[in-house]
Amino acid sequence: MPSDPLVLGFDTSAAHCAAALLCGDRVVASVHEDMGRGQAERLMPLLEDVLGQGGTTWAALDAIGVGTGPGNFTGIRISVATARGLALGLGCPAIGVNGFDALAYGARDVKTWCAVPAPRDHLYLSANADLPVRLAPVSDAADRTVICATDTPAMAAAGVRVIAPVHPIAEAIARVAMARIGQEVSRPVPLYIRPADAAPSREAAPIILP
Amino acid sequence: MAQVLTVLGLESSCDDTASAVVRFGAPTPIASSVVYGQTALHAEFGGVVPEIAARAHAEKIDLAVEAALQEADITLDAIDAIAVTAGPGLIGGVLAGVMCAKGLAATRGLPLIGVNHLAGHALTPRMTDGIAFPYVMLLVSGGHCQFLRVDGPDDFTRLGGTIDDAPGEAFDKTARILGLPQPGGPSVEVAAQSGDPKTFALPRPLLDRPNCDMSFSGLKTAVLRARDAVIARDGGLHEAVRADLCAAFQAAVRDVLVAKSRRALALCPDATTFAVAGGVAANQTLRAGLTQLADEAGLPFCAPPLRLCTDNAAMIAWAGAERLALGARDDMTLAARPRWPLDTTSPALLGSGKKGAKA
Repeated sequence: MPSDPLVLGFDTSAAHCAAALLCGDRVVASVHEDMGRGQAERLMPLLEDVLGQGGTTWAALDAIGVGTGPGNFTGIRISVATARGLALGLGCPAIGVNGFDALAYGARDVKTWCAVPAPRDHLYLSANADLPVRLAPVSDAADRTVICATDTPAMAAAGVRVIAPVHPIAEAIARVAMARIGQEVSRPVPLYIRPADAAPSREAAPIILP
Repeated sequence: MAQVLTVLGLESSCDDTASAVVRFGAPTPIASSVVYGQTALHAEFGGVVPEIAARAHAEKIDLAVEAALQEADITLDAIDAIAVTAGPGLIGGVLAGVMCAKGLAATRGLPLIGVNHLAGHALTPRMTDGIAFPYVMLLVSGGHCQFLRVDGPDDFTRLGGTIDDAPGEAFDKTARILGLPQPGGPSVEVAAQSGDPKTFALPRPLLDRPNCDMSFSGLKTAVLRARDAVIARDGGLHEAVRADLCAAFQAAVRDVLVAKSRRALALCPDATTFAVAGGVAANQTLRAGLTQLADEAGLPFCAPPLRLCTDNAAMIAWAGAERLALGARDDMTLAARPRWPLDTTSPALLGSGKKGAKA
C-alpha cells in the first residue's frame, strides 16, 4: 500500500514565518514564529527544522504548498520565490494557495467573507457573490462576520465580527495543497490585489522641430 | 589539469532576470547565459520602478534557471554550486533571486555562494580574457560608477567613484530631457553622431580635484538649462540642435572618465590591464577615449562584449566560482543586501548614516 503523500506548507505573508508538514491528513510537525523582519534569513532554516522534527528530508516531499497572499508584498515574494526554487530542485509541484482559500478551509459556511488586514485600516476581502477580491476600507465589512486570523482595533470599531480560521495558516495551506495534488497547477504567483505604486513620468518631452 | 567546476548563476538585482551556467576552469567557460529584460514594463514610468521589477523577478527567476540549464543542455545533476547576487541592488529583486537559489541549493545539497553584483562586473575580464591580478577596473553602468583596483576575487580597493549619479542615469535623464527614447545610452549615442560637440560648452565636473571622484548630476542639469535656453529662443528643439547637445554631453562624460581614468592608472603602476565593464562601456565615443588612454599608458585595454558588460548571470556564476575556489561558502541564512560596498575600508562616497555605504 502506498504511504500517504507528504506536503510541506509555508507562509510569510504577514509578520511571521510559519510552516507545517502534513502526511495525509495528519500534521507531523509545525512551527510558527512571529517576526517583523528577517523572514528571508529565517525561512529556509525554519523549513529544515520542520522537516527534521518530522524525521524526513526534502527528497521525501510530494508537493510544496505556499501561501501567495494577499499580505505583505515582500513577504509573499519571499515565499513564492522559495517555493519555485524548491519545486525546481525537487521536481515536485509547488502549489500556490491564497490566503482566502487557507482561511476558508474547513469553514462551516462557505459564504462567509474572508479578510486579511491591510495597511491604513483596510482589508483584503475574498470574492463573494458578485464582488471580486478587493482592497476595501474596514467599513465595507461593517456589521458582517468575517473569517480573519487577527482582530484589529479598526475592525472592532466598525463592528466587524471576527471568526478565527479552523486551521493555523501554514497547516491550512498544506491541507489545501494536499487536496490539489494530481490537479493541473500552474506555478505559484503572488496575489497582490493592489497594483504597484508607480506614476508615469510627469516630465513633458520638448517639442521637437525638424 | 585543474578540475572544472560547473556553477549555476542567478542575477536579479535591477531590471534583468538572468541565469547562466559557467564551467570554471574550462577553455570556454560560458555554457549558457539567459537574460530576460524588463524594459517594456518600466517604459511608461521613465525609470525602473522597484515594485514592478520585484514582481517580475519573483515570477521569472525560476524560468530563467530552467532556460539556462536547457541552453547548456544539462540538468541540475551536473551543477556543482549555486551562485546568486546577494546585493547591492533593488532589495525586492535581490530577495527573489536569493530565495530561489536557496531552494535549489538546499534540495540539491549544493554549496550556495552569495555574490556581490559589483564583484561580478569587476571579475568579468578574468572570465572573458583571463587577465591577471592586479588590474584597474572602471565600472560604469546605469547604477554605478567607480574605479577599482582588483587584487583578487575578494580583494578590491576603490580608487574613486561618482559622488552622485552614475553616467548611465545621466544618459537616461539627458534622453528624457531631449525627448529621446529610453534607454538613453544608445539613443543619445545615435543622435550625437550627427552633432557637433563644440556647439555647447558643458561643464567637466570635479576635474579640478586631484582624486578619482566624479559627479554627473550637474552635467544633466547643464543639459536641461541649455535645452530650455534653446527652446526659449527657437520655440522648440530642432533635431540638429538636439544632436549638438547630445554630442556635447557625450564629450563631457568622455572627458571626465578619461581624465579620472588617467589618475586611477597612475595610482596603480603595477596594473596588468585597464578594464571596463558596465553598459555605458558600450558607448563608442567613450570607448575610443579609454582605449586611447590605455595605449598612452602602455597597458592592454579590456572591454568584455556588451552582453557580458551589462547585467547578466554568467558574471555571477564566475565570481561565485572564484570565491568558492578560495573556500568561501554561505549557508541558508544568506541575507539579501540593498547596500554592499565592495571595498569596505575606503571611505563611503554614496550613502551614509546608520544604513552605511551603498556601493
